[in-house]
Amino acid sequence: MKSLLPFALMALVAVVAFYAFPYNLAFLTRVVITMILVLSLDLLIGVTGIDTLGQAALYGTGAYAAGLFAVHVWADPVAGLLVGGLAGAVVAFVSGLLLMRTHGLTLLMLTIAVAEVFQELANKLDWLTGGADGLGGITMNPVFGTWQFDFIGQTGYIYAVCVLFIVTAILKVVIGSPFGLSLRGIKDSPARMRAIGTPVGRRRVAVYTLAGAVAGIAGALAAQSTALVSLSVYDFQVSAEAMIMLILGGTGRLWGALIGTAVFMAVHEVAASVDPFNWLFIIGFLVLAVVYAVPRGLIGLPEEIRRMVGRLK
Amino acid sequence: MNKTNAWKLALATAVAVGATQVARADTIKIGVVAPFSGPFAIYGTQFKNAMDVWEAQHGKSVAGHKVEFIFKDSGGPNPSAARTATQELLIKDRVNYLAGYVFTPNALAIAPLINQSHTPTVIWNAATSVINAKSKYFLRTSMTLPQVSAPLADWAYANGIKTVVTAVTDYGPGIDAQKAFAKEFEAKGGKILDDIRMPIKTTDFGPFIQRAKTDKPNAIFSFIPAGPPAFSFVKAYTDNGLKADGIKLIGTGDIDDETTLQGLGDASIGIITSQHYSQAHPSKMNQEFVAELKKLHPDAVANFASVGAYDGMHVLYRMIEAGGKDGAKGMKAVIGSSWESPRGPLTLDPKTRTVTQNMYIREITKGPDGKLENKEIETIKNVPDVGYPTK
Repeated sequence: MKSLLPFALMALVAVVAFYAFPYNLAFLTRVVITMILVLSLDLLIGVTGIDTLGQAALYGTGAYAAGLFAVHVWADPVAGLLVGGLAGAVVAFVSGLLLMRTHGLTLLMLTIAVAEVFQELANKLDWLTGGADGLGGITMNPVFGTWQFDFIGQTGYIYAVCVLFIVTAILKVVIGSPFGLSLRGIKDSPARMRAIGTPVGRRRVAVYTLAGAVAGIAGALAAQSTALVSLSVYDFQVSAEAMIMLILGGTGRLWGALIGTAVFMAVHEVAASVDPFNWLFIIGFLVLAVVYAVPRGLIGLPEEIRRMVGRLK
Repeated sequence: MNKTNAWKLALATAVAVGATQVARADTIKIGVVAPFSGPFAIYGTQFKNAMDVWEAQHGKSVAGHKVEFIFKDSGGPNPSAARTATQELLIKDRVNYLAGYVFTPNALAIAPLINQSHTPTVIWNAATSVINAKSKYFLRTSMTLPQVSAPLADWAYANGIKTVVTAVTDYGPGIDAQKAFAKEFEAKGGKILDDIRMPIKTTDFGPFIQRAKTDKPNAIFSFIPAGPPAFSFVKAYTDNGLKADGIKLIGTGDIDDETTLQGLGDASIGIITSQHYSQAHPSKMNQEFVAELKKLHPDAVANFASVGAYDGMHVLYRMIEAGGKDGAKGMKAVIGSSWESPRGPLTLDPKTRTVTQNMYIREITKGPDGKLENKEIETIKNVPDVGYPTK
């Protein structure tokens, strides 16, 4: 029962946000999509201890796959999601076979390189991807043939929130499973896990593939809600910001990924509309403050406060 | 409820609320979407400065309508951010007009939105020809790359340049510029010896310059987006002694843009570029424009982005004057109209909805104040957007 509580809270927040900010649904949809991306990163960094800065490669491929699928094959949103997820998984699996043999800085460098290669590829294949102009002409069919994407973005928001719920629930189950426990073990000590007979390399590839599917789904959602895919989906900034949001929220427990994303993007949005010229300063200050004051991220905040109060007594 | 109905409902609500506002204070809202942060923030700054000049000269209201601007930061080329920002401006702020848009993907991403909301949108920079074909609500006061590069090919051939190596950034606008130049140059009888495409993230241009050098062309034609990369490219040209070998550098005005011009040094004297605006343009109106700019922002320089915004303001004010909140009426009044700009005479071409304008062939020289300037040496009159899709 206790494990359902966060989901109920999440649903409540989603509903309240829907009614409280009826004019900002496009922005809220972007937050939800980014949450899914950051969840995929948490699976790698937080749960398994795979440090990567190349999530954009998986996210971007999902976006292009879903975009191309919608333009050339079938504009059904749910099918598009599956295609995006599949594309992300395939890229993650193939690149993972190489990447997961490396660790630490080498891994960081290589993951960045993979994303760059994909960006250049998308640029070169401009007859297919539209190059720097972006892949346009995406018009989505109604969700399940019933709910049309509307101008204000109500359908888009509800649709994205549903996907977020499903993804979070699946990831929760995965993390709680024996497979998930072995991932945690790999994070703490790969050598020991190897000693007790866990195929560490294969597990790492498997989790990278799963994260690829999730990131691909996020990319597909982004493609469907923006109706345009551009080279920027492969930007280093996508990977780096996802990591900042994750660290801000706290790693390893999924909820941190959601909180970090929400806070980062909300502050970003408010700061950027209050002062479109100098808002970056506020973001920088926030990240510094959190990393310095609450090293475990915002999700560790209640505990941190409890400790401080305890010390006062 | 289908898409159009949902939108009509939203529009009806918006109009109803809007109508009650008309009775009282009449404020026209204009959303400006541009990069105000990050590596491209210079565009936002140039826009903002030019808007300040316009407002200082023409006031903050027109024909009894108060004009209010709402700024949204789009960052770099980021279509989803641009789309979200635009959607919010349309739905939440209920803007009557849109303006700004620096990057092609950002402009393309909002085409479906303005097609639904019927909002006139003045593009102040994004320079790929195809944009305006995606929505009839796009008006463009900047330029397109074919518009700039084709006239340069004519000039080059007429001035003794018979062989050229093209070196452009490997992305949409670069390829547009290369194609337009090569087509025009070869039609005249010139020869393209090599077509070098440079990756967009390159900072070391030495190898590309060396490659061009071995072909011994009369000139190198180049397009690189304005800013630090263009600067390093020209540096690589001057440092590798191509000038001594008699290889000229010609290109679009992006490679010696006013914001980086002074840093190029004396070695850059003699570089020929083609552009629709130079801060050194010798007209009275431009002198007044630059003087007012320097008065308001002493460190500012005027460049293509400044006039894009300044003339964008002209178009917006004329639309408001003619139609107030009625965008359709406003658009009817400005399309096909002509006016005098700091860059010279402009006409908003009814076919392409991009301004038809003079192109200037400029040479880097030392101005009377000892600073480098883009001196206009030849004018090609009334060039329309030659790259507009014909279908």
